[in-house]
Amino acid sequence: MPVRTFQARLLWLIVAVLALLEAGTLISVHLAGQRTLQKSVSDELKVGAAVLDRILMQRAGQLSESLRILVRDFAFRELVASGDTPTMSSALENQRKRVNAGAVLLVDLDGNVKADTIDGRLTGRRFPFASMLADAQKNGEAHATITFSNKPYQFVIVPVLAPQPIAWLCAGFEIDEAFLADLRRLTTLDVSLWSSTAGLVSTLAPDQRADLLAAMPQKPQTALHLGNAEYATLQHPLHTGDNSRVVMLLQRNLADARQPFVKLELQIFALSFVMLLAAVVAAVIFSRSVSRPLRVLAEGAGRVERGDYVSPIVIEQKDEIGQLATAFNQMQAAIGAREEQIIHQATHDALTGLPNRTLFLDRLSQSIEGSKRSGESVGMIMMDVDRFKEINDTLGHHFGDQLLIEIGRRLSHTLRQSDTVARLGGDEFAVKFTAPTARHATEVASRVSTIFGAPFILGDVSIDVNASLGIALYQMHADDADTLMKRADIAMYDAKKNHTRFAFYEPGRDEHSLRRLALMMELRQAVARDELELHFQPKVEVSRDRAVHAEALVRWKHPRHGLMRPDEFIPLAEQTGNISLITKWVVRRAVAECAEWNRIGLDLSVAVNLSALDLFDTELPTFISGLLSEAGLPPSRLVLEITESAVMKDTAYALKVLRDLKRRGVVLAIDDFGTGYSSLAHLKRLPVDELKIDKSFVQNLSETATDDLVIVRSTIELGHNMGLVVIAEGVESQESWQILKRLGCDMGQGYFMSPPLPAAEFRLWCEGRAADSTVGEAASSRPAAGELG
Amino acid sequence: MRLVIVLAIILTVSASLLGATIDAVVLDGRSGVHDAVVYAVPEGRPVPPPRRAAVMEQKNRAFIPHVLAVQTGTAVRFPNLDDVQHHVYSFSPAKTFQLPLYKGSPPNPVIFDKAGVVTLGCNIHDQMSAVIVVVDTPYFEKTAANGRASLHDLEPGRYTVRAWAPEMRGEPAAQTITVTGGERVEVSFNVRR
Repeated sequence: MPVRTFQARLLWLIVAVLALLEAGTLISVHLAGQRTLQKSVSDELKVGAAVLDRILMQRAGQLSESLRILVRDFAFRELVASGDTPTMSSALENQRKRVNAGAVLLVDLDGNVKADTIDGRLTGRRFPFASMLADAQKNGEAHATITFSNKPYQFVIVPVLAPQPIAWLCAGFEIDEAFLADLRRLTTLDVSLWSSTAGLVSTLAPDQRADLLAAMPQKPQTALHLGNAEYATLQHPLHTGDNSRVVMLLQRNLADARQPFVKLELQIFALSFVMLLAAVVAAVIFSRSVSRPLRVLAEGAGRVERGDYVSPIVIEQKDEIGQLATAFNQMQAAIGAREEQIIHQATHDALTGLPNRTLFLDRLSQSIEGSKRSGESVGMIMMDVDRFKEINDTLGHHFGDQLLIEIGRRLSHTLRQSDTVARLGGDEFAVKFTAPTARHATEVASRVSTIFGAPFILGDVSIDVNASLGIALYQMHADDADTLMKRADIAMYDAKKNHTRFAFYEPGRDEHSLRRLALMMELRQAVARDELELHFQPKVEVSRDRAVHAEALVRWKHPRHGLMRPDEFIPLAEQTGNISLITKWVVRRAVAECAEWNRIGLDLSVAVNLSALDLFDTELPTFISGLLSEAGLPPSRLVLEITESAVMKDTAYALKVLRDLKRRGVVLAIDDFGTGYSSLAHLKRLPVDELKIDKSFVQNLSETATDDLVIVRSTIELGHNMGLVVIAEGVESQESWQILKRLGCDMGQGYFMSPPLPAAEFRLWCEGRAADSTVGEAASSRPAAGELG
Repeated sequence: MRLVIVLAIILTVSASLLGATIDAVVLDGRSGVHDAVVYAVPEGRPVPPPRRAAVMEQKNRAFIPHVLAVQTGTAVRFPNLDDVQHHVYSFSPAKTFQLPLYKGSPPNPVIFDKAGVVTLGCNIHDQMSAVIVVVDTPYFEKTAANGRASLHDLEPGRYTVRAWAPEMRGEPAAQTITVTGGERVEVSFNVRR
């Protein structure tokens, strides 16, 4: 079964209905035609008969008129009155020729033929047409159709008046074929005259005459087959003057009569055919006008199915289909908008409206693909907001969200339109850019960094925020988007670790990164497994050259990686939230060691580094107090070192913890002073006792390094002016030691005196110092390894 | 009353002294025939020649009178009173003649010397027709509208009484009547037309 399209069905329906109608019309026209034909033929025959009667009458009138004129001739009347038969016969013959009659008879008033033009055959006999004579005697004249001498005649009889009738003049006019032909011209009917004695005179063809003659003695028939033609026949008996039977036969050739009807039917048929064709054309056009928009609609639906929401359905019509198309287009636009929204939601970060990780990765992949063709280098920056968790915890999530939005906004404004800024999640942002060289990448990274140059002012809170940026470049660092992202991430951690604003990925760091991941997992167990140990580095009083403090530095004796320094795992611990665990372990061990030193006579305080995160732990002061009292160590023997930047993170909260600690008698020191951005006013508010100058200023301190010298001197003076003990880290040479001494620095710490040492070795060092008491020897006996405290 | 009776007697006597009278009626069925001619021919006796002439006028394209009865031998004049010419003719055997186209009175009258019915016509006016009934007796009369006519002053003797009517078919049977003088005899004829 083939598919019947709507168009085809419509077409067939219209054609079928029309064909049915036209067939009905044709049939009814044919039937009506048949009836009309019968009626018209019948009418024609009747009218023909009436016309025939009238013509015969008129002819008789004309004939009688000519006879009347004849009988008024005085000489003729005189002759008739004379009774001279031979003369009369000759005169009759003369008159016969004049009026073109077939026969002329003179009849006396008694009904005897007095003279004739047929060789006197009737002269002296009774007039043969008695009934006509009786008719004439009654009506003055008479006429009749009479067979005479085996030929049909129309006889007329008129009186000879003188002025009363003295005789009758009777003339016969033959009804011949010429006369019948005239009748046929008038009536368009075939006319035949039949009589039992005269046979047939007819306008028909000879063979048809024979057929008619053969059929003739029968009853009147409506249809006769004559020759090859069919005739409708009307038998019309004529008035005869001698009681003989003369019949006029009027015949209509049915084929001829049917001709106009056949022609009409043919015309109607042709017209029907033309109409059918026209209807087919109209139906095709109409059905197309209906089905084409439907097809257009179906195609439009197909386009929507394939995800094309842009190309609308174009239908000019204003009717229901047009309305449907309009509704369809609206639906298409709505679906498109919704899908766009869904896609946008799927590919964008709801908070900042920036592309999300999925879209970023997609665009990065595309750019890399494009780059493979164009050769242009693609780079990406992975960015992480430093200490965002602390901000979120202290200022609330709403604040954190607003900060992220603002960071996103600033990033977007800073970068080019072609670059992609994305928020990957949490406080992680990513930037994709095209950079022909590493130097360009640096420029981009610098531009990104600048957005953190100005404080973020959100509501009534102003906050300085830093971020770490890791940069990785396509082809130089990775061949695909996934790897590129991973390596940018690694670079970012490097930057964070090194406290630089940004870092490029360094080849080979990937493996290190993996190790870090593993370490993060293992660090939690490290405390329980007792894999941590403390090393101690002395802080030496410059004026008396005597160790007064020892900074406890944690080491991780990893089962596989060996001894690890804090900068390798402390940031990890901070990130994984294990820093508190480690800090507590370190404080406990340091306090215990210090108590031991005091017990064995070493007059030392112990210093412990606190993470910035530790300052958010309000339990910490209580914990420390507990430890000190447990160990029987005075609080003043414990120094807590906090980096300048850590204090600056959240001053209000940090201050609260610091003041608590200070109240408990613990000594507080600012570590790495000079690397942060703390204002002096700020510094003044901190409840600290000591100031540790960052080793970067001290390591290369010499009489020629004027910058460092100025900074160190100013810092010492500043600290002293504020009533603080000033300690210099990173003392590695005799020269810097001497300078510090000259500048009045209170304490020094560094390889020049001693590297960090395990507890047992540190005790030996202390005992040794006590024995020889020579700083210079001690310093020279130690290797100046690149170990950073 | 007496006077009336006396007068009736006188009249009757005088009539019988003067001659007999035939009161004839010509009927067509029950109605009398106008312009019929009744005439009595004496048997076995000569009749006197006609004493007066007759006139058949043509006026307004018609013969006047339509029927004229004359005794055999009577000269009949045919004065034409119209301003058109007439051509009077007769093909009747009793008198065949013609007066070719003329105006006024023809110089000579036509003598109808043979008893019979003469049908007159005008050759140029077909509607003009008249009949002259020629009889061998001086006793004749035309009937009035009621079909009656009376023949007066008949001498005693035997008479054959006949009647002629226009357009009659077949002559009614003649009647023989004998009168002695002064009496009135009733005769009636039935004609078929």
